[in-house]
Amino acid sequence: MEYIGLFPMWYEPGIGSGWVVGLIATIHVLFSHTAVGAAIFFAYLSTVSYQRNQPELLEFIKRYGLFLLVFSYVLGSITGPGIWYSTTVASPRGISALIHSFVWKWATEWVFFVIEVVGVYMIIYLVGKVDRATHLRISLIFGIASYGTMLIIIGILSFMMWPGKPEWFVEGGYLNGFYGANTFAQLAMRTAFMFTMTAVVGGIVAGAIKDVAFKREITRKLALLGMASTLAGGLLFMWYMNTLPDSAQVMVANRLPDWFAVSLVSVLGGIFAWFAVTWLQPRLLSPALAMVMTVAVLVFGLWPEEVARESIRKPYVAGQYVYSNQVIARDVPGMGIKSEIPLIERKGFLPTQVFVPAQLRVVTESNALHAGRSLALTTCSNCHSLSSTGMRPLAKYFGGNTDVAQVKTYLQGTLGTGNTIYMPHIPLNDAEAYALARFIVSLNPQSLRNPLRTAAAESTALVAPTIKE
Amino acid sequence: MDAAMLYALRDPAGVPSHPLVFLVLGVLTWALHIAAVQVMLGASALTLYGAFSRNPYWRRLAAAMLSTAKVAVSVAIVLGVAPLLFVQVIYDPFWYTANVLSARWVIGFIVILIVAYLAMYLFYYRNPRLATQPVRGAWHLVISLLLMLVVGWIMHVLSYQMLLPEQWMSWYAPNGQIDPSGKSLHGYSVTRFSFFILLSVAVVAAWLFAYRRYLMGRNAEDAGYIAWLLPLAHRLMLVGGVLAVASGALWLATLPEKMAWFATSAWIWVSAAALLATAFFPRLLGHKLDQSLWGYVPFALGAVALIVVGTAREALRYFTLFGSHGYDALDYKVNMDWYSTSLFFITFAVLGGVILGYLLTVAWKAGQTEGVYTPSRAITRLGNLSIGLLVLWVVQFFAVGFYVWAR
Repeated sequence: MEYIGLFPMWYEPGIGSGWVVGLIATIHVLFSHTAVGAAIFFAYLSTVSYQRNQPELLEFIKRYGLFLLVFSYVLGSITGPGIWYSTTVASPRGISALIHSFVWKWATEWVFFVIEVVGVYMIIYLVGKVDRATHLRISLIFGIASYGTMLIIIGILSFMMWPGKPEWFVEGGYLNGFYGANTFAQLAMRTAFMFTMTAVVGGIVAGAIKDVAFKREITRKLALLGMASTLAGGLLFMWYMNTLPDSAQVMVANRLPDWFAVSLVSVLGGIFAWFAVTWLQPRLLSPALAMVMTVAVLVFGLWPEEVARESIRKPYVAGQYVYSNQVIARDVPGMGIKSEIPLIERKGFLPTQVFVPAQLRVVTESNALHAGRSLALTTCSNCHSLSSTGMRPLAKYFGGNTDVAQVKTYLQGTLGTGNTIYMPHIPLNDAEAYALARFIVSLNPQSLRNPLRTAAAESTALVAPTIKE
Repeated sequence: MDAAMLYALRDPAGVPSHPLVFLVLGVLTWALHIAAVQVMLGASALTLYGAFSRNPYWRRLAAAMLSTAKVAVSVAIVLGVAPLLFVQVIYDPFWYTANVLSARWVIGFIVILIVAYLAMYLFYYRNPRLATQPVRGAWHLVISLLLMLVVGWIMHVLSYQMLLPEQWMSWYAPNGQIDPSGKSLHGYSVTRFSFFILLSVAVVAAWLFAYRRYLMGRNAEDAGYIAWLLPLAHRLMLVGGVLAVASGALWLATLPEKMAWFATSAWIWVSAAALLATAFFPRLLGHKLDQSLWGYVPFALGAVALIVVGTAREALRYFTLFGSHGYDALDYKVNMDWYSTSLFFITFAVLGGVILGYLLTVAWKAGQTEGVYTPSRAITRLGNLSIGLLVLWVVQFFAVGFYVWAR
């Protein structure tokens, strides 16, 4: 018996599993980028301290480092593996595709992580306990090792969007998958923005400095870093957008809202203005204001950017060969990967899936609703909520149509052909298309208009659907 | 769940080196991770006990163990990344399924661990002078310790569910109704979990021997405190040894039928010998514990024992899945990639070895020195070499990258 390798599904009816991943990932980006930027900033401050004999700069490193111990090395170090955990349950084959191509790269990054964790404790707790030249050496090691983690993860993130070189599909190989124009553009852009985050978050520590002159010096250093990196980041963002593959460009043009570009420019302008003000009036900087600014960057800067990046790689979730619904969508001869679409076309989804109850493998009139729900979980629920909340509720796409035959025809005509932009190719034979249509129709749009009814009604429908003849 | 289904769940991309390499690395890094976890658990428990003691030595130990626990969590998390990576490489059908079936708990793991860690930090911030001042907000640490045990339990369940493919469908679709909520923890073994948790008593005892030896190298340390630590470490090691043997025996006695072979296998005898050797070694050393670097050896031996136990744990997994379910983790398709394989091992052995060697030497020496520590020329050269190697690594990253990009 031939099977497609789909895992069981986790369905989160509240906000959707995709948003769970997105939330954790976005928060982690703030923690991790701040940490890497700070590590390099510390190396710079250590160098200045050593060359100009300014031991007070080491004191700032110690304060900011202690803050980062919790901010980045508690919260960041947990949310990092947290992305793995959340993608493991939300998109197991997506993360698996990355793991199996880049396991050694992640293992290499792990070596840098270990150095980083040892290093952060040392640069904090050895201030004043080792001579300044040694502290400088430790700071440099910490800074470069931290950046090493950034260098590695960028290639993997780029692969998620598009393998570095198109040759990867034919030849395979880590290098073809990892390196490409998008890798370097993304690296440059993220490098700039990580300094922006370091400067914003650093304001929380700098704002609490009591000594007026010292506060001015540190605040202005952070402000300069912030202004330069925001400006550079904005320019590099344009380079990054130019390196996106054609398919992603189509998504950008068609799927991102019109206000996205305006909002992006406004956010960058706002951040730049913040730094300009703190440079002109360092005394205005307070921990509370800096915290508000940090949250603003997270909500108005990072979240939309991460959501946009997520959107423009659709319908794929990894390497342009794993669909967001976890099906292997195309052959990758270089890796010996075969598309699962032909098998599904020949035998259908239900008979070839591992995790399907035996009584649902063949669609009958009596099990059609249950079979349809199983199909919806597998083929739709990664991106479409089966309830009224969360990501793109499925029922809303059918305009309250209760004609099973029409919905079935629509499903086969659009998804079955694989020609719908943004959507995966979902070959549904007549029986499976009918079952899925039955389930979609059962998601009564009337209930979606009444939020008080939806949760109870739909959870009941999902657990024990009633067949209405 | 037959073998064909399990094999279908494998990633079609294969693995970039022989699967045995990942299996071995998984065992080694898991042993390091669990050592840090057990130090953290043991140190937290000692902190809690010492914080309420009137004995000044106990209070001093509580303060030291609190710092230890705080760092041990960081180390446990960062070291835990590696076995988490390697298990996904060759056991992906099992790991991913086990996770998805308990998905809410997997997400909960992240949140609970964050709360546990923050609670520990809160306790730390509320008790900056735990050695000399009355304890404040002890419930923070109690919560932290309890939540750490909860996250340990979640990890245990996920690892254990991997071994029970025959039950997966009944968990996913009880009575034929698919339940995709991931709300339940399904498969567990209280005795197995207890064994690994109770091992922390022996591990923290071994840690205390090392801690004591570390203090002996400092001039201003109180000899009375150092002398007080010795019988405590011996007692804990004895209790830890007994607990390890007893809980281990209980675990073996309660193994399910398909794993029963493990109870009488050579893996158990070797593991028992390693654990007992660790438990009795400090007593065998006697006064030698105070000489040279011998005081550090019990912990090193404990680490070796954990590698042996980790190997036995892996044997249980590999042979159970192979023998009962026909899944051979070692016949994974290989798409050999020499560049990334070599780069990892060079980074791991050369960069990791040199840099961590330098950093830990400086940290240790600074701790042993009164006032400001200035490294010798040899150690400074090691520091310069560390920076040079890092720069070289970054240069090769860009050189290779630009070449591939331009090709």
